[in-house]
Amino acid sequence: MNKVLRNPYAYVLFVVPAMALYLTFYIVPMLNSLKYAVTSWNGINEATFNGLDNFVKAFHDEKFWIAFKNNIYFVLFSVFVQIPVIIFFSILISGAKRFLGFYKTTVFLPSVLSTAIIGVIWQFIYHPDAGLVNQLLRMFGLESWTHGWLGEEGYSMLAILVTNGWQWTGFYIVLVLAAIFAIPKEMQEAGEMDGAIGWRKARYITIPLIRPVILVVMMLSITGAMKALDIVFIMTKGGPFGSSEVMATYMYKQAYSMSLFGYANAISVIIFLFTVVLTVIFHFLTRRTEEVDY
Amino acid sequence: MRKATGILRHVILLGYLAIILYPLLFIFNSSFKNNSEVVLHPWALPEKFQMGNYIDAFGNSHIGKYFMNSLYISTIATVAGIILATAIAYAITRMRFPRISKLVYGGLLLSLLISPASLLIPLYIMIRSLGIYNTPFALIVPYTAFSIPISVFVMAAFLKSIPRELEEAGVMDGLSVFGLLGRIIMPLTLPTLVTVFILNFMGHWNEFIMANLFLSSQDLRTLPVAVVAFMDKFQMNYGALTASVMISALPVIIVYTVLQKQIIQGVAAGSVKG
Repeated sequence: MNKVLRNPYAYVLFVVPAMALYLTFYIVPMLNSLKYAVTSWNGINEATFNGLDNFVKAFHDEKFWIAFKNNIYFVLFSVFVQIPVIIFFSILISGAKRFLGFYKTTVFLPSVLSTAIIGVIWQFIYHPDAGLVNQLLRMFGLESWTHGWLGEEGYSMLAILVTNGWQWTGFYIVLVLAAIFAIPKEMQEAGEMDGAIGWRKARYITIPLIRPVILVVMMLSITGAMKALDIVFIMTKGGPFGSSEVMATYMYKQAYSMSLFGYANAISVIIFLFTVVLTVIFHFLTRRTEEVDY
Repeated sequence: MRKATGILRHVILLGYLAIILYPLLFIFNSSFKNNSEVVLHPWALPEKFQMGNYIDAFGNSHIGKYFMNSLYISTIATVAGIILATAIAYAITRMRFPRISKLVYGGLLLSLLISPASLLIPLYIMIRSLGIYNTPFALIVPYTAFSIPISVFVMAAFLKSIPRELEEAGVMDGLSVFGLLGRIIMPLTLPTLVTVFILNFMGHWNEFIMANLFLSSQDLRTLPVAVVAFMDKFQMNYGALTASVMISALPVIIVYTVLQKQIIQGVAAGSVKG
């Protein structure tokens, strides 16, 4: 038995190809990113070491701060708008006696579509004349509320956040639903005997018991918000006038429009550091909430 | 009272479903209209059922070619990723090299810290220097590499649950390690393999950023890149644009509808692990 499962040739054959690919295209780029971040480099000539210059530059770069602020908006929107909506609908769906499967399947649908396709679909919805949003507003006689959603500085970021919410809310609802259905029946019934029904039941029984999964969902949406790239790239390219730029799109532009590869990598490192910092803060804040014991 | 809240629940939920489904139906509906219809009567059903936009998309816009590019790249990357991930997952969970296996697994966990998007620039440089820039391999290779960690996590979780006795019996019958993997383990893991296959395939099919960056010639484009390029170019040709959106999204919607249970379970398992 052991002899067969200790066949070193087989082991090497099984492990090396996957590891080689993983190290070459995942770990090496990660290290290169750190390496380039401390250089001045246009992608063609030799890269020259310049210490922390790129980071200092980012610190004084007004456009970088706008992008950074938009990432923070993204995070705040996720935590304070999306999460309550997710919890509300999860509880609503979990109580449905009929059509439960249908609700679950449909809310999850947007999260299997390509972000590129969703970006294109929502450009139609936001279109100033023929777009759905403005058509609806006009139908209700709210002409003054219509906007060129993606073309106005004040609204472009909000429009993207709504689209992103449309894409991912259902995905998180399904995660939360799984946790709700894992609550033992006796717990539910005991609560109902004590008079906890409807929203009281949600507040005193369901929500406290699904806390761990809510934290997971928060964590996933915060890290997702820090890394947002394609949706912004497709819908507005960061415009108008940089008003919807996020750190990842700004990084992209520095590299491919400006050929500032060193600076772009420094921004990439900053994104990484912020993600780690947010994760650590988050764990620190939620340390007291261990797994729920049933 | 109870009944009323029950009805209210479904009314609110149907409102939410409308928000999800309406945009998709709107695009589907528009894809059968000509341009002026889309602009003048966005809410109406098509005047007559015509496939003109689809014929256009396949004829003038070469959507068929992009569809094949997507299919070809996604299939190769998925199959390669599954083979590599299964082999390594088997080796580190079932074979007797505990120390190295722990190290390998730990190395794969590193990937959870960093998103592929933030590696775009070093990857781009690497792909250029390897000489695979603007070839299908510019996508196949990174797609395969990025799918390995998550596939290994899902596979390893399952492989750990297979009883040792099965393999022992196999060894008694004189099977080699390859025989064990091929005849005993693989048939058992088939459902998990199918789930991993679908998820990876959909991920590759939908990927945009790398596809947009690592290919420069139009002929090699994948569907998402082609559709976005369409939008930038034919801002006003709604019919052709909506048809191409549908051609790109429908396969995913159909596969999802058929295999929703596996997809939802697989995604949930994969993301909570991360």
